[in-house]
Amino acid sequence: MTSATTASADAILDAKSCTMQFGGLCALKEFSLAVGKGDLKGLIGPNGAGKTTAFNVLTGVYAPTTGDVVVDGVRMNGRLPHQINRAGLARTFQNIRLFKELSAIDNVKVGCLSDATPFFPRSKIEALRKEGNGALAYTFEAWGNYLDWWRAFLLTPGFLREEADIEERARTLLEVMGLAHRAEEAARNLPYGEQRRLEIARALATGPKVLLLDEPAAGMNTREKQDLMALIRQLRDQMGLGILLIEHDMKLVMGICENITVLDHGETIAVGTPEEVKRDPKVIEAYLGVESHELRA
Amino acid sequence: MAELVQHIINGVAAGTIYALVALGYTMVYGVLKLINFAHGDVMMVGCYAGYASAHTMGTTTASSFIGVTLVFLISVGACALIGFLIERFAYRPLREKPRLVALITAIGVSFTISYGFQLNLSLGGLTILPGASPRAFPEVITPADWLVVGDPNYPDIVLRNTQVISVLIAVALMAALQLLVFRSRFGVAMRAVSFDHRTSALMGIPVDRVIALTFMLGSALAAGAGVLYAIKDTRIEPLMGTQVGLKAFVAAVIGGIGHVPGALVGALLLGLVEEFVVGYGSSTWRDAVAFGFLIVVLLFKPEGLFGRVSAEKV
Amino acid sequence: MTPVTTSPVARVLQRVPVPLRGVFPFLVAIPLLACVHFATSGAPFFVILSLGVGVNVILAVSLNIVNGMTGQFSIGHAGFMAVGAYTAGLTSTILSEYGLSFLPGAVSDQVMFTLSLAVGGAVAAAFGFLVGLPSLRLKGDYLAIVTLGFGEIIRVIVQNTDVFGRALGLRGVPQWTSMFSCWFIVFLTIVVARRIAASTHGRSLLAIREDEVAAEAMGVNTTAYKVRSFVVAAFFAGLAGGVFAHYQSIVNPGSFTFVKSMEIVVIIVAGGLGSTTGAVVAAVFLTLLPEALRSIFLGLGVSSETAQLVDQARMPIYGILLVLIMLLRPQGLFGTRELWDLALFKPKGPEHFPPRPREGGAL
Ligand SMILES: Nc1ncnc2c1ncn2[C@@H]1O[C@H](COP(=O)(O)OP(=O)(O)O)[C@@H](O)[C@H]1O
Ligand SMILES: [Mg+2]
Repeated sequence: MTSATTASADAILDAKSCTMQFGGLCALKEFSLAVGKGDLKGLIGPNGAGKTTAFNVLTGVYAPTTGDVVVDGVRMNGRLPHQINRAGLARTFQNIRLFKELSAIDNVKVGCLSDATPFFPRSKIEALRKEGNGALAYTFEAWGNYLDWWRAFLLTPGFLREEADIEERARTLLEVMGLAHRAEEAARNLPYGEQRRLEIARALATGPKVLLLDEPAAGMNTREKQDLMALIRQLRDQMGLGILLIEHDMKLVMGICENITVLDHGETIAVGTPEEVKRDPKVIEAYLGVESHELRA
Repeated sequence: MAELVQHIINGVAAGTIYALVALGYTMVYGVLKLINFAHGDVMMVGCYAGYASAHTMGTTTASSFIGVTLVFLISVGACALIGFLIERFAYRPLREKPRLVALITAIGVSFTISYGFQLNLSLGGLTILPGASPRAFPEVITPADWLVVGDPNYPDIVLRNTQVISVLIAVALMAALQLLVFRSRFGVAMRAVSFDHRTSALMGIPVDRVIALTFMLGSALAAGAGVLYAIKDTRIEPLMGTQVGLKAFVAAVIGGIGHVPGALVGALLLGLVEEFVVGYGSSTWRDAVAFGFLIVVLLFKPEGLFGRVSAEKV
Repeated sequence: MTPVTTSPVARVLQRVPVPLRGVFPFLVAIPLLACVHFATSGAPFFVILSLGVGVNVILAVSLNIVNGMTGQFSIGHAGFMAVGAYTAGLTSTILSEYGLSFLPGAVSDQVMFTLSLAVGGAVAAAFGFLVGLPSLRLKGDYLAIVTLGFGEIIRVIVQNTDVFGRALGLRGVPQWTSMFSCWFIVFLTIVVARRIAASTHGRSLLAIREDEVAAEAMGVNTTAYKVRSFVVAAFFAGLAGGVFAHYQSIVNPGSFTFVKSMEIVVIIVAGGLGSTTGAVVAAVFLTLLPEALRSIFLGLGVSSETAQLVDQARMPIYGILLVLIMLLRPQGLFGTRELWDLALFKPKGPEHFPPRPREGGAL
């Protein structure tokens, strides 16, 4: 089934048969998936199927045992999560991982790393890296950052301008996610649904090309869920993001995603449009199993 | 060659004492994921308890077999009690708090004990706190050379009775511990708690009691180590616990904290390395060695020699 | 409770023309410090006392960058102080033999003092880099132990090196520290710490403290940032060491033991990890406390031996204090708040929501 992945030529994120082994447990087997600009894809599967593991492999939290993750044509194996994030992949977490003590706006601001340092612009550093000049890129990056601290100490006009810029970007994002009125509130004081949305805002702040959302609607009521899905689609339409969505609620995913990958026990058991997936006997079997589980729980 | 053998003998003898203390760190870390900074100071208290009991008995009584046993038992009892109190009143209330909170508390307890003992305080002729000046530990075991190789006046190799006795006692205690952990019901409970104390509680394991007992056990081992150390070194002072404790902790970390045989290996390695530095280098560098060794090991194998890497679940 | 209000300083700064914002606080502080300097020149006892306080404030505020903002746990800060003290002391001992003849004596001294302090700070920062490196691989308790070990190793190295006077230490370091220079550096440290906290770099540090995995996923180079926080903190600890060396005139290993490191840890824990205000307040209070107790006891007519006992009891009292703070108020005096976050300065407390429900389901 894995070969059936729709590998679009202009994929921004391209996972090529990634396998993740934890000791004896194969949490993810030969996982392939491509997300391009404007794609809205779903990743579903019963509990423990390996969905979150797939995200962790894509974002560099775990290094895949075998297989490649390619972002924008660059192989990401061995890169650290922050480098992968800079390459254009941002994510949220299933167990909300906000910076709890910081205010909502500060959470978003953390994502807004300044892109323009007057000494070594980040774009140039990335260009160097693409040319395979990693060591030089690293040196520039490190020294650029030390110099950047000095700008913060001295409050140079350029630095102040950037801070103002970041502030504005953060406020805009909060507004987009409907959190403007919560800007000064500590993240841990926000209600559950707003925390989930804040995580999305924070991920968007990093300026991603592809956004990975790990069960963004978990714990929300139906109405909240529907609003969120509308919002997600809006993000895709307006910002031209590629979005990969993990969601438990079959109906929701079916309604919003154009392409769905189904995992079970780490294996990709189906890929296709919602209609195709819905009729797939393997999917039905896997899901019936899980539903009886959930009834017991 | 003879010199090398002598250094190995000394190193192993010192190492086994570190091992006993290191086991306490490792056990407590196992069940609580807490570095019990006060552990070395508990050992120091054990030394003073031994000192006080030997003094009360008088050196002649204390150096009889029963006397020595009694000195050990009293010191073990005192330490177990201290360990219990520390756990009950300082650590237990903080069990659900972030680990940093417990770590800071442990440092506080350590400070309170070691510097508290530096104060001079006596009530009606009874010394309560001994004061900063070092004291000579009574000769409860009369030193004798059991094995001398070479010229008796300038021997090549000497094996002292205290060295043999301390290695034997240490090995016996460690064997008993190993049996306890892997062959008894309590050991099973302890290991269960170390995996996950919430789930253990749900399974009906009396978690509080297991943790308290683990503390008492670790402290008792430290008491044994303390008395052995005092017999070997003959000098005791309130800050000795911090010194020995830190080194034992280093040994535990080198071996992979939470790993019982690892603590033994780490401690033996540390004892040997220290002995070699003192023997072939200079004794003034001795205190830096343990930490230098630690940093080198941690840089190359952060989980210690036998520890397992635990990937954080995301 | 989170920092939600902007600092009054920031609000004042809004009105200052942009190019002047960086220096404005110093333009205000320098004349003030000069006034204090001259006003107190007739009270040597007070000056000595306040220099001790100043050094501890620098140490506490800088350690707070690592322990409070970045959430690492360093317990070897005295090691950096030692590096700074010895390097600066040695530099100025050598420099003082030359002097800058084209300048008036006092000015030449101050120039060389500045130079020595800078050298001390820079070398300490280099050591901070070295010690920060293990933080790439070590977390929590392990890192704490490495920092502790580093402090001890520094002490042993100094004790075994001839240039540093072995156990006797350096003697005859010129006494160049003045009320003005000490408190200027205190001010500098505080300003830098606050500017870090309010910048994108500071937010990255706070993010690491809150959740390292999430910070990394948001593009923060967590390893590099941790090292940098060590470098900055070590630099200021080095300055503190330099200031200390130049008023004590004697630098010996006994001043930089584990006890000194712990004293600073107690201060920032008591003040509230993460709060610069807390670090300053606790540093002032806890440094003065033993002195105050001693004078109170002496004033009450207690014999000087008993007063001495109070001094000896300082360490166990620190210990008990640590335990009590952790048991009763683990967030310390200020938590992570600053002065201007207190209810006093707030228009109205923010409304609160019930805590979020526990999330269900597997990981
Ligand atoms: N760090 C890890 N170490 C060992 N096993 C893991 C780790 N992370 C995930 N797993 C296992 O991998 C499997 C897939 O988990 P996960 O990806 O979280 O499933 P889900 O599809 O519900 O998100 C589970 O059996 C889980 O226990
Ligand atoms: Mg999951």
